[in-house]
Amino acid sequence: MNEEEIWQSVLAQIQFHISPANFATWFKNTSVLSRKDGLVLISVPNNFSKEWMENKYNKLILEIIKSLDQGVREIKYITGSHNQKTKEMAPSPIAVLVEPEQLEFQELQVDKDTNLNPRYGFDNFIVGPFNELPFAAAMAITKSPGSVYNPLFVYGGVGLGKTHLLQAIGNQIIKDLPDKRIKYLSSEKLTSSIVNAIKNRAIDSLKNLYKTIDVLIVDDIQFLAGKEKTQEEFFHIFNALYEKNKQIILSSDRPPKAIPALEERLKSRFEGGMIADISFPDYETRLAILKTKAQEKGISVSDEIIEYIAVNIQRNVRELEGALNRLSAHQKMTGKTINLAITQALLKNIIKNPTKITSFKKIIKTVAEFYDLKEEEILCDSRKKEIVKPRQIAMFLLRTELKNSFPFIGRKFRGKDHTTAIYSCNKVSIEVEKNENFAGEIELIKQRIYNI
Amino acid sequence: MKVILLKDNFKKGLSIVEKIVGKNLNLPILNNVLIAAEKNFLGLSTTDLEIAIRYWILVKTEEEGKITIPAKLLSSLVNFISDEKITLEIKNQILQIQHKENINQINGLSSEEFPIIPKIERKNSIEVNSIPFCQGLAQVIDFCAQTQIRPEISGIYFNIQKDKISLAATDSFRLAEKIILFGKQIIENQESSFILPQKAARELINIFSAGDQKIKIFFSNNQVMFEYPLTEVDHPQVQVISRLIDGQYPNYIEIIPTKYETEIVVQKEEFLNQIKAASLFSGKTNEIQIKTNIKKEGIEILSQNTDIGENKSFMPCKIEGKEAVISFNYRFLIDGLINMKSQEINLLLSGEEGPAVLKPIGDATYTYVVMPIKK
Repeated sequence: MNEEEIWQSVLAQIQFHISPANFATWFKNTSVLSRKDGLVLISVPNNFSKEWMENKYNKLILEIIKSLDQGVREIKYITGSHNQKTKEMAPSPIAVLVEPEQLEFQELQVDKDTNLNPRYGFDNFIVGPFNELPFAAAMAITKSPGSVYNPLFVYGGVGLGKTHLLQAIGNQIIKDLPDKRIKYLSSEKLTSSIVNAIKNRAIDSLKNLYKTIDVLIVDDIQFLAGKEKTQEEFFHIFNALYEKNKQIILSSDRPPKAIPALEERLKSRFEGGMIADISFPDYETRLAILKTKAQEKGISVSDEIIEYIAVNIQRNVRELEGALNRLSAHQKMTGKTINLAITQALLKNIIKNPTKITSFKKIIKTVAEFYDLKEEEILCDSRKKEIVKPRQIAMFLLRTELKNSFPFIGRKFRGKDHTTAIYSCNKVSIEVEKNENFAGEIELIKQRIYNI
Repeated sequence: MKVILLKDNFKKGLSIVEKIVGKNLNLPILNNVLIAAEKNFLGLSTTDLEIAIRYWILVKTEEEGKITIPAKLLSSLVNFISDEKITLEIKNQILQIQHKENINQINGLSSEEFPIIPKIERKNSIEVNSIPFCQGLAQVIDFCAQTQIRPEISGIYFNIQKDKISLAATDSFRLAEKIILFGKQIIENQESSFILPQKAARELINIFSAGDQKIKIFFSNNQVMFEYPLTEVDHPQVQVISRLIDGQYPNYIEIIPTKYETEIVVQKEEFLNQIKAASLFSGKTNEIQIKTNIKKEGIEILSQNTDIGENKSFMPCKIEGKEAVISFNYRFLIDGLINMKSQEINLLLSGEEGPAVLKPIGDATYTYVVMPIKK
């Protein structure tokens, strides 16, 4: 007879000895925790039950258990939810029905140990040609973390689902392999925990803590740029985990090579596994995303409208969602169904005109920021490699985006000759053709220019 | 049992213990108060199996004994007694109440059936003054989540540190934190924390707000006891014992932003009035909009409803940082503001979809965080 059966049979007999009211009050949510060496541990829901059992029913329960198992000599009662089934029912991400407009603290959804948000899963992750590769790598990792593609480095622009993918990997591993220890961190959190550890002289205990993790996920790793001490400590943690075949997953808005002020040894380690980029979703995928999101939010929009949004918002999944949110808010406020004309009016601000507006200043500023340089440095005469390349890119962008004339561009850069400008633009455009990574970099910079 | 006692003491004691007595159909004995005479004290106890309240009255005991009596009935009866001295006597499961020539007899139930009130280890304890403690509790109590889906945020989080107690409550839309400072060490061991059910906290405020003595708090893994002393002799007067909520409280400190985009200083009363005026036009969603105007040095408060009309008001204030347009549920703003006593308050914004913080100026111990409504 196992524990559960013993307890069932105790309950079955006890109900003849006491009133139904007492039975319901005191025996609800009780169970046998263990039975060993003649000692039976019984879990009770609260201290009132505990006192009552110990003082009133102990003799009766002991007698019944003894008649079932002669070896039992003693019973102990423990309060607590040691095996309450309800605990395991994590709040389902969709079940919460509040007014959609009222925002909630996201931090509360987050699991305290893993830092993962259960909202992100593979079931609501839409796969298209633009993210097939990272998705396939992610799926492989969830099957056997640590043994394939280690580290996985995912990069791509804003709002394309990097965080979603990273968190979904974590959540899936929790589900499939519950004994793995997972930690999700933004690089900001990583930095602050290292800084705190240094302050409290507890860096060793922090390192030891990280070294026990089976899957370490660090989001937005590009923010480690320039933080030398953090990089050093992270390097050690990285090595320790890597040697033990623990899975490491990283994300960034650009490939490792393009992250400025990142130590060479870290760069080369990041490149040592699998690098996968998320590019922009194509038209069909955008349609699929919009349809799924509309279904999630419970708004009915015609195909015509969905197509309109998909055609006009091309570069950002988050913006697609934002557009739908606007429609849904409008529908709720006015109660009218939405037609194409209303959509066009509502989305006027989000959808940029085909002729994008930017300026000389914006381009210089963005390029400088992207490569972690000062604006003056780009405009100066320096022939250092790390400045020459950004300067050439800036000239290229001025030419392609603003259609500035070559002499104008030359003048802006401390009166350089127009031939210098021509040479730069040609060099960059050839490189874009040849080198896919480089093209991606340019694309990211362009995206930033138009996002500010 | 036979005791003689003062009516006022009896009345006060009953009024305190009867609060948690409800209509319990499952276990009718929970509707009763346990009356027990022991040595020089008459003890009154009630419980709903989550909270228990015990109260002691100094009495002249002629014979010890105990019985349970329907609490509401006894309390109503005592309210009508005008004499000073009462004699209580038990005869065969009947409580006889005698004052001068009047005699009442109430049928009781055996004390054997009454739940045993759990004992608590006296290992971990701290002492707090009842007035600041109850005021602090009252400032956060309304923000516990009302849902049982996530039991850990349905109560008040107590975090006891070296020289202070932090109280926090959140319902996932807003969060209130109150820090009670002691200026001296209150606990020897490391930090301790527990989650107190909201209902127990309400009882504490009801019972202890009036007194100005020290409350002793004893806590263990799953229980807590608040004890208030008798002034005349060294004996507890009231004990409130409650279960604690099982679970880990979220790391709420992370919710409170440390950097802000826009920092506003406003007169509290005027701000509150403007919000109340705007609320009349806010419609079903309770939405009002706050719009900064740095050039005019003030904020606009806007609300509109197609059926009623609209509100547009301006109030001058100090602003630093970026311009902001942000919408709130007006109820959430009012709930936070009414817990602040200062003349001026800080309204700190972090973008139109980021958490906003309200703080009374000159009182760093209270922080209220509220999430806006999505545009």
